[in-house]
Amino acid sequence: MIRNRTSNSLNLKPKLLKIILLMEETELIQKAQSGDKQALAELVKKYEQTIYNFAFKICRDKNYAEHIMQETFYSMVKSLHQFDHNSKLSTWLYRIVANHCLMMARKAKSRSFVSFDDDDENLFEEKYAADWNSIPYKDTENKELKRILDMAIQNLSPDYRMVFLLRDVEGLSTEETAQVTELSIPAVKSRLHRARAFLREEINKAFSR
Amino acid sequence: MKKEKITCKEVMKHVCESLGENLNDEKCQEVRNHLDSCPHCREYFKSVEITIECYRKYNVEVPEEAHGRLMKMLGLEQ
Repeated sequence: MIRNRTSNSLNLKPKLLKIILLMEETELIQKAQSGDKQALAELVKKYEQTIYNFAFKICRDKNYAEHIMQETFYSMVKSLHQFDHNSKLSTWLYRIVANHCLMMARKAKSRSFVSFDDDDENLFEEKYAADWNSIPYKDTENKELKRILDMAIQNLSPDYRMVFLLRDVEGLSTEETAQVTELSIPAVKSRLHRARAFLREEINKAFSR
Repeated sequence: MKKEKITCKEVMKHVCESLGENLNDEKCQEVRNHLDSCPHCREYFKSVEITIECYRKYNVEVPEEAHGRLMKMLGLEQ
């Protein structure tokens, strides 16, 4: 496989390696766009983990995550010919996932979420005092922590969740997050700081009991 | 007029707004100075970082069957 040959055996500098990987991806996309099924399968395999994981992080449910993953790749296959290489394929895919997740959340509607006032001073009122050193954050399989993380993020509306996950968890830049969510940069920043403060406070509350 | 000192609440808000951004402007310098001398705000800063780290580390793998169903649905199974 080309990817293995370039990334593993030539000891390239990270920047150069990134360019080569991007060129390989461009070639794969072009092949897939001209009907090469093997190239298309490679692209799906390359991104399925990212997409499934991201979908799960938004909806916190493995069945929904699989459904969203299928919808996302179905949309990708259907409209790959429209992809113009002006953005990264990953950014384009994140946008498709985001749309599917938001659509699904609107359909569900039954859940109510925390709302934020323009004046968000109360987000920074410290009503609880957890000992953060005792939180088992390094134990990635800790069930109690996972339960608290799921519960906290599900109280955030999907719009806020999306911004937090794209920017802080997936590591997109503020500009890329704005592009995916179709929000202005100030709107991304505003949602991000509220989401961070809210989630931090929810964990604080849970561990101070 | 003497400039008022930055408060802990302002620092906490700034930490949530600016984490991961370029921290070179004047306000950030003021926040950094405050963090150097305020253990409470340092703790807050650390707790926001831990919050993000928790969500970053919480990952799920695509189950083998889900992969199979996806490839079949797309007509890409080998």
